Amino acid sequence: MNLSYRFYYVWRRNLAAYKRFVIPTLLISLGEPFFYLIAMGIGLGAYMGLFGGQSYIHFLASGLIVASAMLTSTFECLYDSYVRMVLEKIWDALIATPLLAEDIIAGDIVWGMFRGVISGFLMYLVAALLGVLPVSPSIVLTLFVLMVLIGILFGSLAMIVTSFAPSFDFFNYYTELVVSPIFFFSGVFFPLDKMPEWIKFIANLFPLTHAVVIARATFDNQLNSGHWLNLLAIVAPMAVAFYLALFFMKRRLIK
Amino acid sequence: MSSIVAAKDLVKKFNGFTAVDGISFEIKEGECFGFLGPNGAGKTTTIRMIHCVSPKNSGELRVAGLDAGVDNRDIKRLLGVIPQELNLDEDLTTYENLVLYAGFFDIPRPEARERIMELLEFVELKAKMKNRITQLSTGMKRRLQIARALVNQPKLIIADEPTTGLDPQARHLIWQRLRELKKRGTTMVLTTQYMEEAEQLCDEIVIMHQGKIIRQGAPDQLIREEFGAEMIEVKDAKERVFRRPATLEDVFLKLTGRHLIE
Ligand SMILES: Nc1ncnc2c1ncn2[C@@H]1O[C@H](COP(=O)(O)OP(=O)(O)O)[C@@H](O)[C@H]1O
Ligand SMILES: [Mg+2]
Repeated sequence: MNLSYRFYYVWRRNLAAYKRFVIPTLLISLGEPFFYLIAMGIGLGAYMGLFGGQSYIHFLASGLIVASAMLTSTFECLYDSYVRMVLEKIWDALIATPLLAEDIIAGDIVWGMFRGVISGFLMYLVAALLGVLPVSPSIVLTLFVLMVLIGILFGSLAMIVTSFAPSFDFFNYYTELVVSPIFFFSGVFFPLDKMPEWIKFIANLFPLTHAVVIARATFDNQLNSGHWLNLLAIVAPMAVAFYLALFFMKRRLIK
Repeated sequence: MSSIVAAKDLVKKFNGFTAVDGISFEIKEGECFGFLGPNGAGKTTTIRMIHCVSPKNSGELRVAGLDAGVDNRDIKRLLGVIPQELNLDEDLTTYENLVLYAGFFDIPRPEARERIMELLEFVELKAKMKNRITQLSTGMKRRLQIARALVNQPKLIIADEPTTGLDPQARHLIWQRLRELKKRGTTMVLTTQYMEEAEQLCDEIVIMHQGKIIRQGAPDQLIREEFGAEMIEVKDAKERVFRRPATLEDVFLKLTGRHLIE
């Protein structure tokens, strides 16, 4: 592997190209959390009792923040990276400069992570404005680290899928068969403790489950040393996925 | 004169298909070196190995004294590449394209800005500085790709079919710019399917066919070697015989029995 600081240039390039779309996408990204929290949190919440002493919308919002980071970085490194690589031929131009394939791939993953972190924070912002979640510097910092890790993990996983994708259609397998189950069975929408054992077992294999646990503990001010294990369940697959993403995408690029 | 590119028995295969079949050549500093050949001859594949985006299968390839495949970053820093396919950043403006590209070479912003203004002047695109790429004509895009390739003040310019698909007027504008670079002593590698282009711009050419180099020399020298004189006899449609200057196209036809452009 031959990664250098130049991955930053790729991030910067994507930012420059993105400037034009900031306003429309921010509006969309603000509308979505609003919709989720109102429809599910308040609408469904009205029929539910308390979750660990708190309202359903409180329970839901903390999970949705990290889930949103996961979804955004996933879609960025599937569709948007594919467009840059195959359709716009941006990477062909980049690779003729001192950038190597590793810099380009890592730069795009970091960009996907960045978009994920932003969308997670927008969800947080909406929840905070609705008075659902507390705000403090230590919460913000913990969430930031958590979403960076989730963003790199799911950006890398998506990049691996993209490295094998002959066309857009290919992404459906991954989003429907992998991302959707993770989204629905990581404890974002309902607690896992009353689920059958086998579902609990599978859910514990999902890194998002562990991120949701950490996020909830952060908001409830209940972080303890046991959460290092949850963190490990995110960081370990992240390191592996990142390495594999560089490996497989490089194999696709360099012929 | 020392050589800036030296290749020996260079081979490139794609899943068993041999695209470049053991070619050797040497490109000297200050010259314009041409690869002439029809579609699929292996020109782009050769070029891509020189600028280190495609690894060779075997043979030796040295660029500016460095080992292609090992010192890729250092080699790429020294080169300016004008690719066959347009790959400008459509999401950005003309100016942004150049500024970001300069950044990839670690060129500081103030210095980049100065160079870019000169280059925009050079390729006559100053008026289009703030336009998005989608608003440029194909000829303008090609010229912008020339400016982009010059941003890092390269030791060697590589142009892969810089005028393919352009109308005659746009083609002459590109030729003018390339000739101007040549006058300044820039070393250039050019690939082309047009013998006229090779004759106009190149000091030395190799003729490529099916992954092999079948002849090498200066354009007029190649014609003389193959035909003895620079005039050949041809028959027109009515079987009347007349004499005209021989061209590289005739050389190619004689060597392979095929036309350059098919
Ligand atoms: N990435 C690739 N995979 C498989 N075959 C390739 C690839 N790139 C080029 N080729 C083949 O190698 C041969 C030479 O191609 P190329 O170097 O592009 O020719 P030229 O530039 O002279 O037109 C062609 O037959 C082409 O189909
Ligand atoms: Mg070609």
